[in-house]
Amino acid sequence: MRRALGILATGAAQGLAITFGLFLLFGAIPGDVVDVLASAGDLDDAQQMALRAELGLDQPAWRRFLAWLAAALGGDLGTSQRFAQPVGPMLWEAAGVTLQLGALSGALGIVLAFGLCLAQAAGSRAARLAVEAINLWSIALPTFCIGVAALLLFSVWLGWLPAIGGLLAPVVILGLDNAGQLAKPLSEEVAEVAARPHVMAARARGLTPLWLARWHILPLAAPVAVSLTGVMLAGLLGGTLTMELLFGLPGMGALVLNGIQGRDQPVVLAGLVAAALAIVLVNALTALVQSVLDPRQ
Amino acid sequence: MRLLALALLGLVLIGPWLAPFDPLDQDLLALNHPPGAAHWLGTDHLGRDVLSRLLAGAGTTLAVAALGTTLALLVGGLAGIVLSGLGRGAEWLGFAIIDTLRGLPPLLLGLVALAAMGPGLSPLVLALGLSFAPLFAHVARTARRREEAADYIAAAVVSGAGPWRVLVRHTLPNAAGPMVTLAAITLPRCVVTESVLSFLGLGAAPDAPTWGRMAADAARLAEAAPHALLVPVAAIALATAACAALGDAVRRRVDPRRA
Repeated sequence: MRRALGILATGAAQGLAITFGLFLLFGAIPGDVVDVLASAGDLDDAQQMALRAELGLDQPAWRRFLAWLAAALGGDLGTSQRFAQPVGPMLWEAAGVTLQLGALSGALGIVLAFGLCLAQAAGSRAARLAVEAINLWSIALPTFCIGVAALLLFSVWLGWLPAIGGLLAPVVILGLDNAGQLAKPLSEEVAEVAARPHVMAARARGLTPLWLARWHILPLAAPVAVSLTGVMLAGLLGGTLTMELLFGLPGMGALVLNGIQGRDQPVVLAGLVAAALAIVLVNALTALVQSVLDPRQ
Repeated sequence: MRLLALALLGLVLIGPWLAPFDPLDQDLLALNHPPGAAHWLGTDHLGRDVLSRLLAGAGTTLAVAALGTTLALLVGGLAGIVLSGLGRGAEWLGFAIIDTLRGLPPLLLGLVALAAMGPGLSPLVLALGLSFAPLFAHVARTARRREEAADYIAAAVVSGAGPWRVLVRHTLPNAAGPMVTLAAITLPRCVVTESVLSFLGLGAAPDAPTWGRMAADAARLAEAAPHALLVPVAAIALATAACAALGDAVRRRVDPRRA
């Protein structure tokens, strides 16, 4: 219990620190609204001071951060400078697309990796080869390159998939990459646990392979499996970003990138904070599940 | 694969002299030409020779990745070693920050750094270095802790070696193995991250021919000139695979216990 509280507190502190850092980088800049107005030539120094005071821009950064945070917690993430509409609904819509892509490809990766791993543990040689092949694939071929190749092959040359907006290709590409990252270390861990004395002793007692897997191998391999899965899920965001851009999906990555290119600071800030918090959440959940599965430490 | 890596290095070194055209030269009468006798790998949407741009980009792409990896090694290693020697409070605070950053994917960190700094080659190197540095800091601290708990260090301290001498003569040489191993793994990741960041329009300036930038330019016109997109992307994949193989070879050499 104390450990769980510690994990939650660490996660909250990390989330707050990242949010503050991002606010310093991207939230402090709209202070230049007054400069922009002044550069139009209509404001003297006193008027600038007055306007800054009115907008709260003369306050120290932490004060403005608290004001922004309070508004954000109330659901008000500011207004897009480029599209003159509230950031919240824009972010919500984009997050839906990214979550869909992330969840589908993450699920595909997990199912494929665990399936191959089980098959290999059951002694399948084909599965062993598949694990090696998929691992090599994910190390040597970045999703970015596969994405471009798939785009050219299927959309431009064969004309099969809609190049823009289709989820199938990005899900498969990301899913395979995830499976490749996961399958090899997972199968190594399972093999290592299976070679331990207690498993040998259990096997010598004549227990069935299924019983062995469930009660003697799984409990020891589970913490590593969970931590590998957590790392994979946290890294998924980078992959979805690339895929969204390649396949023209209107997700978080596209939103943030358009924001960066259009100097739309409120959108960039909100998007990056949401992405970072999602990752912190995944990391904290991974640590929590691990603390349940492995009560030592 | 190791041969491929060597061939790649050779290409980077002599490539600019092999290039048949100026990589920035536009030939507006020869737009989007498919590969042929005059232009071996065709021309892009501005009539620039793809092969020449590929050769010119090889140096930039690999130099950015190598410099980024080196920067990450130096900054992260230094932070890890120094912080772990500063006493409990400083170490705790420093590593609270480092561990927070370490939880975020390097691509996201690079994106944030470039969004804050603006595009360009030096910001790109800096962004790569900062994105991967937290990993190096973590490994440096782990290595230092492991070494300093070892008996031979205790023996050195008992025979009168000061903390500085222990650090330079004993800890650093033994911590170098894991650090070089991590650097070898990081190099191909830097190649990909650089390409993606440049592809997103955040990395190299538009006229600097890095591979990611070439792919980004060609992606918008994939139907008119698919070769202009396929060539840099294939180069990125080849370079990644070669760097990964090289990294694996280095890892086996430096860190035989974990090979």
